[in-house]
Formats: sequence, structure tokens, C-alpha cells
Amino acid sequence: MAEDTIRKIKWFFPWQDEQEEAWLRSMSQGGWHLASVGLPCIYRFRAGEPRDYVYRLDYQTFPKKDRQEYQQLFRDAGWEYIGEMSAWQYFRKEVKEEEASEIFTDVESKIAKYKRILVFLWFFWIVLIVVFPVRGISMDNPYPWGAAIQVLALSIWLFFTYNIIRLSVRIRQLKKL
Amino acid sequence: MLRDDTNKYLPLTESTCYIMLTLVEPLHGYAVMKKVEEISKGTVKVGPGTLYGAFTSLEEEGLIAKVKEENRRKSYVLTPKGKKVLMNQMKRLEIMTQNGLSVMDML
Repeated sequence: MAEDTIRKIKWFFPWQDEQEEAWLRSMSQGGWHLASVGLPCIYRFRAGEPRDYVYRLDYQTFPKKDRQEYQQLFRDAGWEYIGEMSAWQYFRKEVKEEEASEIFTDVESKIAKYKRILVFLWFFWIVLIVVFPVRGISMDNPYPWGAAIQVLALSIWLFFTYNIIRLSVRIRQLKKL
Repeated sequence: MLRDDTNKYLPLTESTCYIMLTLVEPLHGYAVMKKVEEISKGTVKVGPGTLYGAFTSLEEEGLIAKVKEENRRKSYVLTPKGKKVLMNQMKRLEIMTQNGLSVMDML
């Protein structure tokens, strides 16, 4: 790997997307500009002159054709598309006075973004219940690794539950505005 | 019956209202953004995230329709159902504005 790029693995929760945006901005101010994103949570930064880039994250899934229309719309509005990481869409723009630095200009559309994530979370939450019925961890499982899988499934399910609760709280906060 | 059919969309948000107002003629996304800023005299600006979300849901509800695609830019226009919704919204806003004007000297 070239010396002028660094990789960082960084996890963030869906209700912390604004902190993530702020962190990416501070990286750019320090001369590290986001070059690409990829799974699992890998950011690649390229060294350059420090610049005040504002980063914004959207959450969208779509067929390929719609994706082009979507990216074109952002480009027209002055946003540079960086990439996608599990439906998170990364954009940036250099801050200039008198110019819009938000991709969401009202509370309703911000809430709609979080609701798109909620749909995804609920989907997996239900799938987990159907595939691994939560009936306590039984030790008399016929398979030796059965209990381990159940513990793992339960942990993932709890993790999704936690995400759903926190994201719902975030939506409620926004509704109060 | 038609009235009830369109009332479920009301009230529209200010952004959605302005987006729909610009779509009395076919326009693509960026043109909508510029036009909204212009006709609202700069009081309303629509970001691309907000606009894309509005396009998606308005199209799903059949209030706008895609008319053409050029260089990855899709143009939309109001459907008859969309026009009806917008008309009802305007009537509501007109009532509100009249109420506001009648108490203007007390504000």
C-alpha cells in the first residue's frame, strides 16, 4: 500500500451518523481525505492538503438504474459521491459560504432516513426470531454446538433490539423539534 | 369519496408542497431544487437527500410520474391525483392565510 493512504476500521451505530460525519470532516481538516469505503467498516483515507470538506451520509437501497439517477441528483447539487457501505451512501462537499451544506433540509426527511434503517432492523429482528426461536438456552440440545449457536443468535437478536430502541429514541427526539 | 382519498396526504410538508408546485411542468431533480428556491424567494431550500426521498414516496403514491430520462436525469410531472392533493392543500393554506390576515393588526 502506498504511504499516502491509511486504512481505518471504525464501527458506528446508525443513530450516531452525525458524529461520524463530524469525524470524517475533522480527518479532512487534518489532511486525510476519505477515498473509499467498504465492508466491514473499512475507511481508506488519502493524504492531501487540509481542506474543509463537509461529509454527509444517506441511507438508501435501490436497483442499479435508480442509483445512477440518485448519484446524478447529488452531483448536480454539488456533492461528490464517495461510495457505499451496507446501504450507507457517503457524500462530501467543500464548505463555502452561502452554500447549502445539508442533504436533508427538513426534519421529516431526516426522520424518513432513520425509518428506512428501522425497516431493515425490524426485518432481521423478525427473521432471527423465526429462525432461532427464543426459548431459553437449553443444555439438552441434540447437537454439541447447538447451545453455542443459540447464545450467538440471542446476542445478535439483543444487539438488533438495542439498535431498534436507540434509533426509535433518536426519531422521537427529532419529532420534538 | 375522492376527497377522503386525497385528504390522507394532508397536510403536506412545506418542502413537499413546493416540490409538487414546481411539477406542474415536467422537471428533473436539480431544476426542481433551483425552482423551489426561486419561487419561495429563498425561504425554502431542498437538499438532494430530501428531494430524492420526496420523489420516491410521491411516485409510490402515484402523485407524480416519471415522464422522461435524459443523461441519468429523470423528469417528473404531477398526475391528476397529485393535482387534486395539491389543490386541497392550497385550499387549506388559503383558509389559514385568511385567518392570519384577519388578526394581523393584533399580532
